[in-house]
Amino acid sequence: MTQDLKDIIEALIFVSTEPLSAERIKEVLVDFSAEEVDKALEELKLRYQANNHGICLVQSAGGFLFTTRAEYDPYVRRLLQIERKTRLSQAALETLAIIAYHQPITNSEVAAIRGVDSTGTLKTLLEKKLIKIVGRKPTPGRPLIYRTTDKFLMYFGLNSLDDLPSEEEIARLLEEKDIEQT
Amino acid sequence: MESSDIQEGYQVKLEVFEGPLDLLLYLIKKKKVDIHDIPIAVITREYLDYLEKKERINLDREAEFLLMAAFLIYLKSQMLLPREQPALEETTDPRRHLIDQLLEYQKMKITSSLLRQKEDEQLRRWLRPFSPPLLPSEEEEILEVSLFDLAECFYFLMKQKENENFKTLKGREVSLEKKMQEILTLLERQPVLDFLDYLKTQDSLEEALVAFFCLLELVKARLVIALQESLFQSIKVWLRPDHRFEEVL
Repeated sequence: MTQDLKDIIEALIFVSTEPLSAERIKEVLVDFSAEEVDKALEELKLRYQANNHGICLVQSAGGFLFTTRAEYDPYVRRLLQIERKTRLSQAALETLAIIAYHQPITNSEVAAIRGVDSTGTLKTLLEKKLIKIVGRKPTPGRPLIYRTTDKFLMYFGLNSLDDLPSEEEIARLLEEKDIEQT
Repeated sequence: MESSDIQEGYQVKLEVFEGPLDLLLYLIKKKKVDIHDIPIAVITREYLDYLEKKERINLDREAEFLLMAAFLIYLKSQMLLPREQPALEETTDPRRHLIDQLLEYQKMKITSSLLRQKEDEQLRRWLRPFSPPLLPSEEEEILEVSLFDLAECFYFLMKQKENENFKTLKGREVSLEKKMQEILTLLERQPVLDFLDYLKTQDSLEEALVAFFCLLELVKARLVIALQESLFQSIKVWLRPDHRFEEVL
């Protein structure tokens, strides 16, 4: 029985192009209990971790998703005839990092941390749907406030904002860098 | 890091720095000084040398570099001035704000390099590109439209209506308040309003225009949410759960 459930869930994830959340799976599989679904999901995760497939099961933006294995990227690109995917600019990356850690945040608050005007970068990030406007701050000028989107999580392969490197991790990396230099 | 590629005395490119804080961090590293106790005089000299090596400063892009230069000189002068209350030195260190800013910026640089690693990893993973034939409505991509999108949709509708005898203005007066009330009443009765359909029920261009202004007003007052799934599609409107009427009416 559990064997079947695992395969059903696998099929559901396969047809989803957006991350499929455990909640949604439970909604669909009303004939199974929530515990059964959770158990089957865990087993499915283990199955993909244990065996080398061309695709992997990843948890991204709060849901499950199949992606190809990173190592096979050159072959996939050859098939799709895509030279290389464009990366975000350094400015965009910095701005995203600031928004991710300080959200909700306004344009001028971003600029204060970066030390440069970030209006253009915010516009690009909005266009790419990596950030969104969530309202206005009730301060003079009523500036727009920004947050990161689910697409942001997907873009960086994060399951939730909690997956972002913690303060301690950043502090450790800073120390390592200092040691390298001395 | 890009900044380490720069050779001293070689052609100066401010473009490789994301901003004055980035340049300052580079100089602090180069001079091997403690970020928590920056020798302002030394760093200011370095910083100004850097700017002077540049033939021209593009004010549009590089005004912030000049602002920082001015601030550094100001800090330097502050440091030179004798202080009245040496006991308060710790709390009134004029460098405090700059140091905090640099530390925060340094953290962000580390984070963005971690994000870059994740990006590189993710870019090598591919998703299935096609969409399932039937998307359930919950999974439609929802985007909150800007006023510009709304205006575009309105223009599109007017284009659609061009062939019909729609432009005859009737002498009736349509008040903004009444229309807004009408839309809100409709929204209270039904969960979602298809705005394109709603516009079609308007008898005159004037009324349609007023209805459209009302929508803009209601969005502005944050009473309703307007969503458009894609360009030239209809706009769906619903009440914000936390709306308060008295603000606008």
